[in-house]
Amino acid sequence: MVATKQAHENEPRRGAGSWRRTPRVAVSLSLLAVALLLWAAASASAATPKRIVALTPFAANTLVKLGVQPVAIGQTIGGNERFAPQLKSVKVLPLSHPNGPNLEQLVSLRPDLVLSTRTWAKGNQAIQSLGIRVETREPVRVNGVISKTLALGSLVGKLPEAKALVAKMKEELGKARKAITKRPSVMVILGVGQSPFTFLPNSWGGDLVRKAGADVLAGGLTSGSGFQRISDEVVVAEDPEILIVVPHGDPDDIPAIAKYFQNDPAWGSTTAAKEGQIYISADNSLLQAGPEVGRTIEEVRKKYLHNWPG
Amino acid sequence: MTRRLIVLATLVALLIAAAIAELALGAVKVPPGEVLDILFGSGKAGPNHQIVESLRLPRTVEALVVGAALGVAGAILQGALANPLASPDVIGVTGGSGFGAILIIVLFPEKIALLPIGALFFGLLAAALVFAFAWTGRNRGAIAKVVLAGIAMLSLFTAGTTGLLAAFPEKAPSAIFFLAGGLTSSGWENLETTWPYFLVGAILVAFLIRPLDRLALGDDVAASLGSRPQLIRLGAAVAAAFLAAASAAIAGLLAFLGLVVPHVVRMAGKTSSQTFVVPASALGGAALLAGADTLARTVRSPVELPVGPFMVILGVPVFLWLLRRAL
Repeated sequence: MVATKQAHENEPRRGAGSWRRTPRVAVSLSLLAVALLLWAAASASAATPKRIVALTPFAANTLVKLGVQPVAIGQTIGGNERFAPQLKSVKVLPLSHPNGPNLEQLVSLRPDLVLSTRTWAKGNQAIQSLGIRVETREPVRVNGVISKTLALGSLVGKLPEAKALVAKMKEELGKARKAITKRPSVMVILGVGQSPFTFLPNSWGGDLVRKAGADVLAGGLTSGSGFQRISDEVVVAEDPEILIVVPHGDPDDIPAIAKYFQNDPAWGSTTAAKEGQIYISADNSLLQAGPEVGRTIEEVRKKYLHNWPG
Repeated sequence: MTRRLIVLATLVALLIAAAIAELALGAVKVPPGEVLDILFGSGKAGPNHQIVESLRLPRTVEALVVGAALGVAGAILQGALANPLASPDVIGVTGGSGFGAILIIVLFPEKIALLPIGALFFGLLAAALVFAFAWTGRNRGAIAKVVLAGIAMLSLFTAGTTGLLAAFPEKAPSAIFFLAGGLTSSGWENLETTWPYFLVGAILVAFLIRPLDRLALGDDVAASLGSRPQLIRLGAAVAAAFLAAASAAIAGLLAFLGLVVPHVVRMAGKTSSQTFVVPASALGGAALLAGADTLARTVRSPVELPVGPFMVILGVPVFLWLLRRAL
């Protein structure tokens, strides 16, 4: 009973003390929150890579659009990659099998992020073992450009810029795909030397041409890689209205490869050959993913499919 | 005896020179003094430190280990099979390893880390199949039977490799580097996987050197001296299989080294005694591969080329010069 009384007597004093302590608690909590915010900001800043090496045209060109200048870009030996003009002064790392870039050269650049592709899987593994962060953010299909751009933006601390870029891309894509009324049958061929490979609908180029309004023919072939060796007999049997050939090889050999396929007698009986609709796409836009996907689709429609309004 | 010592001393000098070149030269210029500082633990931290310690040092060790292993594998096979054309090809290892590696490259490109395991597994599998055919039935362990079984297995796995490349031509660029033989800067990872196989092979070889010398006198004489020719031959083939398969797992297909280096040291030392040929082949193979790899890394730097052709460029002139003098 005594204890209860004492307790009651103490209550107001405890209440008054807690009121007095309230500002101190609030100040402490505020300081803690500020400290946490500062720590989080510092961590985010430390995690944002500053020295980035972009081994693919998509990564390099997207970085430029996000306002980030890579310390180096990759270029396959004898390759014909399309790079933004802003990348002209950036160091170029030659890429060769099996590692991709020369690892000594790469290490000397002190990168804190390497944007690579699965093509250089062995090299990626070796780069990671050197304590360098490696990320692969390559779109395989047209729709992937949106998600991969956002992922890249997030990686390099430029998410708002990435969102703005994606909004612009979507708008351009919408414009590029407007009023598709004609859907010609098309085969897209990768000419490696004198060997034809077909772009399948699951390849970058196949998907892009399909998005441009084509009915992409593949002769029933499938492959996880998106490409498959195709017989001339299948090309003739499929009888496409349009053939788009992407010559692949040493830049010096491209004109000869293009000429060979444009005059390939094996395809002479196809509608495409009869109507003079065998086109050459030599700028790699169907082979390599790029951020300017809307413009590329528009070009495909205008140059090859002839289904652009007006 | 003096001649052998001179040859061994020359090979040691060549090996040291090749190792120094491998450590000192590359796509990035690192001053020799700094290379030494880094190797002795007093170098400054930074990119050069990482280049020497994490890229060049493991690669140099790999070149020395693989070169020595292939040289020894060729030496003991030529001794055991009394055949100057014997090399790891003959027991099917090269064909099996090539098939295993290409299988990973073509069918499981996302699991590229399994490439050395694939090469090792199929290399040993091919050798095991050769042993199974050659050491069973009539005339088991006969030289002709071993060689013919090896050629059959080599043909089988080579056909498999060619078939895979024909079916997946877009993967050919990735496969070429392995088929042409090449070291890569992968740190210590490859050696961490394969060292037990090198060790088993080396231990077996150490026990086989003297029996192989007795075998060189002919099966009957060796048997009269208490040796068991078939067992020695099997032991030599197993040791060579371990050494060659582990080498292929790291550096791809380098059949030339195992074939030529033992001949070169035999001609230079003017003896076929395995007590000389085996260690000399190890030194010569190591020096040749390290030297050739330095060339492969620097000729078109920063692009790295497969080491196989460079090894042939370095080795063939010496081989032909010695051949002309010896025969």
